[in-house]
Amino acid sequence: MTAQTLLQILASGLLMGLIYALIAAGLSLIFGLMDVVNFAHGEFLMLAMYATFGLALFVAIDPVLLTPVIAAAMFVVGATAYLGVVRYAMRAKANVGMVQIFATFGLAIAIRGLAQFFFTPDFRSIPNTWLGGRTVELGGVFLPLPQLWGAAISVAAFVGLWLLIGRTDFGKALEATREDAGAVALVGIDKNRVFTLGWGLGAGLVGLAGAVMAIFYYIHPDVGGPFALIAYVTVALGGFGSIFGALAAGIIVGLVEALSTTFMPPALKALGIYAVYMAVVLVRPRGLFGNL
Amino acid sequence: MNRRQTLLAGLFASLLASTAGTALAQAPKEVVIGAIYPMSGSSAQVGVDARHALETAADLINNDYDLDLPGARGAGLSGLGGAKIRLVFADHQADPQKGRAEAERIITQDKVAAIIGAFHSSVSATVSQSAERYQVPYVAADSSSPSLHRRGLKYFFRPAAHDEFFSAAMFDFLDGLKAKGQKIETIALFYEDTIFGTDSSTVQRKLAAERGYKVVADVKYRANTPSLTAEVQQLKTANADVLMPSSYTTDGILLIKTMGELGYKPKAIVAQAAGFSEKALFDAVGDKLDGLISRASFSLDMAAKKPMIEKINAMFKARSGKDLNDNTARELMALIVLADAINRAKSAEGPAIRDALAATNIPGALTIMPWKEVKFGEDGQNVNADPVLLQYVGGNFVTIFPEQVAVKAAKWPMN
Repeated sequence: MTAQTLLQILASGLLMGLIYALIAAGLSLIFGLMDVVNFAHGEFLMLAMYATFGLALFVAIDPVLLTPVIAAAMFVVGATAYLGVVRYAMRAKANVGMVQIFATFGLAIAIRGLAQFFFTPDFRSIPNTWLGGRTVELGGVFLPLPQLWGAAISVAAFVGLWLLIGRTDFGKALEATREDAGAVALVGIDKNRVFTLGWGLGAGLVGLAGAVMAIFYYIHPDVGGPFALIAYVTVALGGFGSIFGALAAGIIVGLVEALSTTFMPPALKALGIYAVYMAVVLVRPRGLFGNL
Repeated sequence: MNRRQTLLAGLFASLLASTAGTALAQAPKEVVIGAIYPMSGSSAQVGVDARHALETAADLINNDYDLDLPGARGAGLSGLGGAKIRLVFADHQADPQKGRAEAERIITQDKVAAIIGAFHSSVSATVSQSAERYQVPYVAADSSSPSLHRRGLKYFFRPAAHDEFFSAAMFDFLDGLKAKGQKIETIALFYEDTIFGTDSSTVQRKLAAERGYKVVADVKYRANTPSLTAEVQQLKTANADVLMPSSYTTDGILLIKTMGELGYKPKAIVAQAAGFSEKALFDAVGDKLDGLISRASFSLDMAAKKPMIEKINAMFKARSGKDLNDNTARELMALIVLADAINRAKSAEGPAIRDALAATNIPGALTIMPWKEVKFGEDGQNVNADPVLLQYVGGNFVTIFPEQVAVKAAKWPMN
């Protein structure tokens, strides 16, 4: 293997890893805030991709410009999911954890079924985008523009999150609610409102990922599944509740995936990711940056 | 058992016998046929298209059409007093275990007379075993793994070719090009990790060795993976004279997109159909595939020689909005072959249909395929299902091999 091939593999792994991190960010945010694992996360991603596809086709605006629109639309979807389903699931008196799992799992199956019914199971992709299919070459290493754009969005999203959580009142409310959802009521923070905004933000983040991925991936009612699976292991690896753990873990997952595919039979590529996760669990069960 | 119980049991038995007797005496008004396909999940698009193909075939049988296809003339099955075919669809979601469970459900609850399936060879493997146990004939319409007909099953039938025929045709074609002076020495195999991909690659590896081609990349990848970058990097490094992928639609699209992103232009692609006969794939990445070659059991340009193909294609297109392709043509033909057997069996009972299927003899002219004839061997495989190779040129598929049916000479290499 040449140095160039190795560089290519590392670069591809890094770009993909940043996109994995972006997908995992919303999941991590919601989990950290209220201990709910959103099993419909992959379906949110799928909805964002279809929304991008639909708008790009009917309004003829490039997906690059649509990115904030899709994120905003997904914010509404996420907030609605909380207000319409999760809020009620959290009122369960016994087995709250299981009720939440089944509520979001049911939501996932419903969204997927409706998508197949309304959008048909045909594979879609957006033709003729600004970035689609374009590649820059740096010394023999190929960097696809859509993935570079995705990496830039991912970095920007994490910087934005850092500012939001560290520098704003809403961020402080978010942190406080996460620490003790009961006590914040005493200082006048409406827990329900924070949770609604948290779900909106989580879905908005995956909306960013969907708008980017619609440029370079096929769109299909089942497209979210494999990505959601990677998002779960990313969140667990980075540490439950740590947003920046999700960033680090996303990059690790992307690199490990690319390297294990190169040095092992590619059919076993998932093995590398899970082996790393198992190793981390043995040493640090809460995940790399977990503080819960 | 006391006397009253004996009496009751006797009464019950005679009642049963009499109802069974009347059932036998009357020809059934309809024959129920099960179709097991992926109706949801990542291959749902194939299942939905299969449904349209099978419904087109049922329409051809149940209504009167003036076409040279067995069962098209006259309404219903004449051998069963004009009984109609009714299709029952079941969803296997590309999961062999779900396929098995669904097969047992439609056999025991819907009382299907026979089953057609299943696209995924891995699912055909389990479904055909359940069918065998219940003595219900299973027609593998579009599952192409060679191992399927080598399990000694009595109720398994496959009218179309399997991957050994297909791969042999590919290598015959390559040998032909080589004889004409093309330099073709190295091959890259790229295949998914279920029975379809592994069986296909096993045959291709063996044929490559026998005929003196060097396999320079042998990449078995995880199906439905989110990223194929590192896999494609291996193919790019090897840069073989021919790339031979065995992939379903999702991975096929991702493969071609990733090759574009990494600046890899393969010298030639000869694909084991599956995803590479699906319109969705060409809608997504067709611009990068001019010159792609794929094996097939069917080609629309044969309509020039068989005019009925155009009419049947129009019927299918009215339902699905798509042209018939390799998969849908095989599915349609499978039901025609099965209905022909039921017609001759004059019965909707499994063993009778099985014997009629085994005695099938349909000349190729009465099919929409390039086949010589439909005649099953002891193992249930049609030995005269000649495959063709198609090339994607200017947005359409044209037949390029074998020479007697070729419409055009192949463009080689593609890049």
